[in-house]
Amino acid sequence: MTRLLRTLVAIAVLAGLVGAAVVFFGLYNTSARSGHWQATNWVLHTTFRNSVRLRAPKAADAPPLTGDMAELGARHYDTACRMCHAAPGAEASATIERMVPVPPPVARAVAHWEPPQLHWIVHEGVKMSGMPGWPAERADEVWAVVAFLDRVPGMTEADYAALTARPGPPPETAEEAAFAYCASCHGTEGRPGNAAIPRLDILGADYLARAVEDYRSGRRPSGIMQQALSVVPEEVLPAVLARFAAVPPVGAAAEPGPGADRGAALARAETGNPEVPACVACHGPVPEGLPAPPPGVPRIAGQSPDYLESQLRLWRDGWRGGGPRAGLMRQAAQGLNDDQIADLADWFASLDPAPR
Amino acid sequence: MPQDGPQAGPRRAAPWCRLLGAFLAAALLSACDGPQSVLVPAGEDASQIDRLFRVMLVGAIVLWLGMNGLFYFITRRYTGAISRRRAEAVILGGGVALPVVVITALLVWGLSIMPDQRAPGDGLRVRIVGEQFWWRVEYWPEGAEAPVVSANELRLPVGQRSEILLDSADVIHAFWIPALGGKMDMIPGRTNRMTLAPTEAGTFRGACTEFCGLSHALMALNAVTLEEPDFDAWLAAEAGPARAAEGPGRDLFFREGCGACHALRGTPAQGAVGPDLTHLGSRTSLASGILPMTAEALAGWIRDPQAAKPGAEMPAYDHLTEDELATLAAWLEGLE
Repeated sequence: MTRLLRTLVAIAVLAGLVGAAVVFFGLYNTSARSGHWQATNWVLHTTFRNSVRLRAPKAADAPPLTGDMAELGARHYDTACRMCHAAPGAEASATIERMVPVPPPVARAVAHWEPPQLHWIVHEGVKMSGMPGWPAERADEVWAVVAFLDRVPGMTEADYAALTARPGPPPETAEEAAFAYCASCHGTEGRPGNAAIPRLDILGADYLARAVEDYRSGRRPSGIMQQALSVVPEEVLPAVLARFAAVPPVGAAAEPGPGADRGAALARAETGNPEVPACVACHGPVPEGLPAPPPGVPRIAGQSPDYLESQLRLWRDGWRGGGPRAGLMRQAAQGLNDDQIADLADWFASLDPAPR
Repeated sequence: MPQDGPQAGPRRAAPWCRLLGAFLAAALLSACDGPQSVLVPAGEDASQIDRLFRVMLVGAIVLWLGMNGLFYFITRRYTGAISRRRAEAVILGGGVALPVVVITALLVWGLSIMPDQRAPGDGLRVRIVGEQFWWRVEYWPEGAEAPVVSANELRLPVGQRSEILLDSADVIHAFWIPALGGKMDMIPGRTNRMTLAPTEAGTFRGACTEFCGLSHALMALNAVTLEEPDFDAWLAAEAGPARAAEGPGRDLFFREGCGACHALRGTPAQGAVGPDLTHLGSRTSLASGILPMTAEALAGWIRDPQAAKPGAEMPAYDHLTEDELATLAAWLEGLE
């Protein structure tokens, strides 16, 4: 018995010494030139596949993956993911091709995965593979990228180019390039024509600056906006924001949706609901003779309904922060249920934006 | 040498000791008085409860003295034997017959005055809804189709029996104004009914008496009883629109969206989430009985409600400058 114990201890000490030698004397070759053994590859990949299957959200939790979401997702993919996974039908750079493991081209990467599993992979990333996690903890906006990935099979390079085109003539200055980049989602007039993306023409310069600061600081978590702002040079940003702030707001975002009447009554506190504050008291439309909302409060009349809905959910569920008045909005959204959120979005989206 | 000096005698308590005793007695007795004392009734119902309490207290003292006297007599004074017959008479008489008679009498009396606490009212109905941690108050004068809405203070006419309807918006609270009457629970989804008939004009204090959350101990309210003509005049004024003077204070109120949660009758502010502020400045307290109704207290409350009342739903307006807070507070105080 003692002998067996002694042998085991000796083996353990020896193994520790070998391990230490590998770590401290550099005995293991970390060169990526030769890749992994076949067996290592199999172990790593099988572990990854099963880990995703175990942890992915349920199919029922996936929202409808709309074309608008796919458009937004494609543009995010273009700036954040294309570098490694390449555009559909294209190839990544020679350097990326030498990564270990090699990032699969997007069409091959999405094959055999269901949308919820893709959502998990994009949000969580994959350890030891070079695939990063989503820049923000908030997971709802990842569905936009999933909507795009869902449409990748069968997509040609030309389809992709059309999806991610930058508006306007080729930019000549850094400011023009930054503006074109922002406008590729938000539109050159601040009107994106896409329900998943907020319009900027209804917002004032103060509020736009505030929002950018909140995204940068993480008070307003958003993987999409944090990525977008990280590729725009900070020094040209004020000029870009000024261009968006200068466009006059035109037209409602949508025809009145089915819940618009209920939303109007709720927003104006006409229902006597003791849980929901009157939205219009801060966001307008303000009745005749009353002061306009302060610049730190966003105008939401005419804003995109999908965007309004997603933001209200974020406020209610505690994901959303913002400027010094964020506490007010967090409290205000506490009493809302999903139906009321949809009604409010229907009504506000159907309003003509207030002149700034 | 003064007679009650320190050397007056070993059996006499030192003067500081007697002073301390007197002070403690005064301190204890002072709790019997004040605006929230059950021992100084100012309503018919409270008087009845008080009478019941005093009768029972006197009875309890008599019984206590009798029991201990008997015990003393039997163990220290009476040394002879006692006949079985007499012993049985004492046990049955004192242990069965006497309690049955006394308790039955008290029960009959107690039960007979219980309906008085819910006697029909004379006309005015007041609906009070408990919220974490304040009171929604609606006055329904006889024949009224819509209520006069107020909050965090109860006003009642002297010499009239008013009906009180108790409700809760969230958790179980309890409503009790000790000087006016008994206590009753406020239960979500159920309306409890009681009546109060004040007999004296004055300001009394009530409190939530069922643990209801973080600031349960800070959920109080003042009850102001008024002679009938004064009450009628007050109710007529309370029913009127807010005297919301034009100026920077009003602009701040609307610009900051206060009307999203608070109503000011006669203005676009129609919020139903928080207390009605139509005649805020005329109330005797702020934040349901815990702060004085002054501009300073108002400014402090708006800046950081959580500091005064942890768990309150009102969010902090700490983004306003001190000047803005002072302007807004002064304007609110002027809403009389």
